[in-house]
Formats: sequence, structure tokens, C-alpha cells
Amino acid sequence: MPLVRGGAIGPDVGGDLTPPRTTLDSTDAESRWTAARALAGRAEAVPELAAALGRETVPRVREAIMTALMRVGDSASVEAILPFLRSQDAALRAAAIESLQALPEAIAPFMVPLFGDRDSDVRLLATELARNMEASAATRLLCDLLEREPHPNVCAAAIDVLTEVGTPEAIPALEKCALRFAATPFLPFAVSVAISRLSGAEG
Amino acid sequence: MVEVGASAKARVLVVDDSSLVRLYYRAALEQAGFRVEQAINGIEAMERVLSQPFDLVIVDVNMPRMDGFTFLSTLRRGTGDVATLPALMISTESEMQDFAAATAAGANFYLVKPVAEADIVRHACVLTGAAS
Amino acid sequence: MGGTGTPPFFPITPEEVQRFCEFLYRRTGLSFAQGKRYFIDRRIEERIVATGASSFQAYFSLLRADADHEIEHLINSFTVNETYFYREDHQLRCMTSSLLGGIANLKPPGSTIRIWSIPCSTGEEPYSIALWLMENWPQVDNYNIEIVGSDIDTRALKAAAEGIYGPRALMRLSRDIVTRYFKPVANGNHQIDEGLRGSIQFTRANLIDAQDMAQYRDFELVFCRNVLIYFDDASRRQAAENLYDCLRPGGYICLGHSESMSRISPLFSVCRFPDAIVYQRPESDHG
Repeated sequence: MPLVRGGAIGPDVGGDLTPPRTTLDSTDAESRWTAARALAGRAEAVPELAAALGRETVPRVREAIMTALMRVGDSASVEAILPFLRSQDAALRAAAIESLQALPEAIAPFMVPLFGDRDSDVRLLATELARNMEASAATRLLCDLLEREPHPNVCAAAIDVLTEVGTPEAIPALEKCALRFAATPFLPFAVSVAISRLSGAEG
Repeated sequence: MVEVGASAKARVLVVDDSSLVRLYYRAALEQAGFRVEQAINGIEAMERVLSQPFDLVIVDVNMPRMDGFTFLSTLRRGTGDVATLPALMISTESEMQDFAAATAAGANFYLVKPVAEADIVRHACVLTGAAS
Repeated sequence: MGGTGTPPFFPITPEEVQRFCEFLYRRTGLSFAQGKRYFIDRRIEERIVATGASSFQAYFSLLRADADHEIEHLINSFTVNETYFYREDHQLRCMTSSLLGGIANLKPPGSTIRIWSIPCSTGEEPYSIALWLMENWPQVDNYNIEIVGSDIDTRALKAAAEGIYGPRALMRLSRDIVTRYFKPVANGNHQIDEGLRGSIQFTRANLIDAQDMAQYRDFELVFCRNVLIYFDDASRRQAAENLYDCLRPGGYICLGHSESMSRISPLFSVCRFPDAIVYQRPESDHG
């Protein structure tokens, strides 16, 4: 019979999962990956992880570092991830948003400053962070943004999140937005869909 | 120019994480006679293009788990028809370097959001060889 | 409101169904054709009643927050979650038609090929892998095949080790296979052959626990079906990273039929074979 029951589970693996922190500097990607995974959730490792994230080029190691920071989940780790919203690298921006999205409580104090950022791309990405928030809080934040926001793409992103998360309180802000951008492609459509979704919402 | 007949409707894959954007493009494209499928990010888009034939992929840049640039690079590195699938990239960025980056990643054309329905349809017709 | 008599009628609006469907699609990848609308309405109503929510809006908030694992309850109400032999056999076919060929080309005869079923539940999956290989892979005798079945539930593992199954579990197996590999036992059940029972290693393991998972390495093939869809984002990432380490470079992972790495992790490459889409740990970090 070709089926064999393995004696040990896999080859001999030492139980030690904690390599020294310096291997985050290693020239070998596999070592950096292992180091990042071992440091997941360690609050004291946040500065080290943040620095490593800034210079890491191998995508899977970046993922592991983001996960490690996300597992800490405190405001220090949020602050470590935030600068990557400004990255020129789309993949890094996406990874940053994903990690932050999983931390709605930790990111909450940063929402207003993010929505006031002078970079429209940062404001746009930040709308995604409201998606995992409680409905009234998310609605208030996004409506405040809609009232002031000059950039149509940021408004479009906010409307998309409101369509999922919003309460009927959002309808007046949405209507005003549609008027402001009546001549802009897509915005009037987005508003009308959002309003129709939210109108039946109070059960 | 090939006319889009009922039995030969060109197939378009719309890739964007915004459900409103996908709805918008789908409505415009279906009205113009295209068959439309959707995906929410580059990984799902790869699954779709590997599972059925498409004539065009319309892909956003900012998407979770796999962004538009990574998707295009992955697509172009593949083999067969899939690698040469026409791709219309759409982004919020409007600088010359962004057009250049899109071309370098393998996009056939690049549009800046928000895109009007007429423009989406017109570009889809050109890129699939269908009559406008 | 009491639970007796007929449940209250919730007139769920088309917009509410749309909102729900978009959320579900974004979160899990599950989608439904237009013709299934009635089916969806009924499921939502059931869940509203089951959770005691006062309205669709209240239920939707609960769902978005995944209170009390509502996502899991919801998905279970939509999908058939029964386990039985040769379930999703297109993946087993993919294993022998496509995946093992490449693996065997790189390994000399006599080498070990390690396959992992996690979660293995009551054993149908790892035993199915064993049966399928013996029945369908011409090269099966040339290699040492190590099959490991793991689960977080020790009672399920105990049942798996015993290998006793009722008629429903065996419904996809031919009578010939049942005769050759099982023997009838009490209560109309069958027990799988002692040799097979002895050849599968059953262990307790938690996908999210990196320490647990550190003991599992060098797998060519992992079946991780119908569990990741229930995890929250953070746990899914964690599990994906753990599974990556458990695979050999170039090793494959099969998910459940409603699951996709697009909702889980970018660590793996998408591979399309005639019988299935599977995911591969890249051979290297480059390209």
C-alpha cells in the first residue's frame, strides 16, 4: 500500500519561533518573512516593523509585516501604517487600507484628520475605512466629508461606502452633492442609487 | 468594423471594487450590446479571465488584495490569448507619468475617473473592434 | 415579540435585497442570479427572526459587525454543508489529472508526497483523497503518500479515526468501492478498511495558531475547504500566511467551491486547470 503514515509531523522543526529581531534586516527574504511573522502582535516591535515596511520590496514580506502590525492594532501601529496611504505604489496603498480597515476602533480618532488631508488620494482611500464602522458614526463622518469635499472622485468613494453603510440621515447630504456635481459624469447616478438604497432603510 | 450581432456580443470584464462603478459601466455596456461580467479585484479578475473568454478587460487601479497594475503585470506574464487580452485601465490619476506607468504595465488605453457612459462605450467599441 | 405561531412578515424591499447581495458578494464572493430572488428573501427573513432583529436595517447592522458569528450562520443557510465521500470530486480529479503529474515529475520514485486535509472533520475528505488516489492515479505505487487530516474538533477527529459512516456519507461511492474498502457494521453503517484507517495521521490543529501550524511543513497539496469563508479578515490573513509556510514552494491549495483567494490573500497565484481553479505557492519570490 502506497499510503504511509508519517512518523513525525513534517521534518524536524525546532519549536523556537522567535528569531532575533535583526533578521528583519536580513538579506534573505525568507528570513525577513519569518521574522515578521514571529513579531506579529508584539507592541514593542512596532517601530522595527514600521521601519522594515518602509524598505521592503518583496510583496509577501510586506504582507506579513502589515499583518504583524495589524495584530498589534493599537494607535502606534495605526500611525506606523498611515504613511503608506501616500505611497506611489498601488499595492502598498491597498495593503495599508486593508490592514487599517480591520481596526475600526483604533482608526476612529484619525478619521477627521484623514478626511481633512490636503492630498485628495488620501481622503479618497480614507473613505474605505468608514466601511467597517457602526452605521451612524460612519454616516456622520461621510456626510461631513461630502458637504465640504471639492474632488468628485473622493465624493464618489464616499457615496459608495454610504450605499452600504449609511442611514437615511445621509439623504440630504447626498442630494446636495448631486446638485453640486450635476454636470459631472457618474456622480448623479451614484447619488440616485445611494438614495434609493437608503430610502427604504428605516424598518 | 465588425458589427456586434446577437450571437457575437463582445464580452467585457469590469474590474472595480466599487459596486456603483460596476453597476454604472455594466448598464452602459449592456445597453450598447456587450455582455458584461464583473470582478472586485485583480485576483477575482484572474479567475474570470482564466475561466472564460473575454474581448476586453476594464480595470481600476485601487482595489484590495490585488491592484490594477499587479493584475495587468500578472496577465501579461501569462501564456496564450489571455496574455494579449485588450485592457482599458481607469484611474484617478491624471499626470503623464500615470499614462506612462499604465502603458508600461500593459494597458492598451487609459482613462481618468470619473468616466462618462459615452466614453466607456466608445472605448469599449474601439478596443473590441465593434461598431460604435 | 414571542416565538410562537407564524413569524411576522417582513416586506423586504428590492433595495434591501440589493444592499444585502452587494455586501455578501464583496465579503464572500457569493453571488446569486436574478432568478434566485425569492430564495434570498426567505433566507434573510429566517435570519432576521433567528437573531431577533427588529427590522432589516437592524439585522444588516448586526451582519456587518458579524455579531455572534452571524456571517457563518448566514452562509450556512445558503450553502449545503454536508460532508460526504467524494464531495467536490472535480478537485480530486484535478489532483490526479493535473497537479500530481507535475509534482511527480520533480520527485524520483520512492519519494514522499504529503497531502493535508484541514479541516478534515469526521474524515470523509482525507479518506476520499486516499481512495481516489488508489483508484485513479497510475503512479500511486511509485511514491510514499502521506495523508494528514487535521481539525480543531477532537470529537470529529475521534470519529474520523474510527471510520464508521452511514449511507448518506457513502452515497457518491460506487458499490464496488464500498465492497472493496469498507465492511458493514451495526445499524446499517460501514467502517472503512483498517489499513486505510491506520495510514492516515489524524491530528488536532488550529489554522489561525502559528505555533500549531509551525509543525506542519513540506506539503505538496493542501485541501482547505469551506472554512476560510467563515473567518474574519484578520484571521483569514493569518491562516493564509500559516498555510503558505506549510506548503512547499510550488505546492497547491484547494479551497471550497464557493471560496476564492480574492477574498482571502494575495500570497498565492491563481492556476486554472481543466477540472478546477487551484492556488499555488509561488516557486520563488521573483516573477
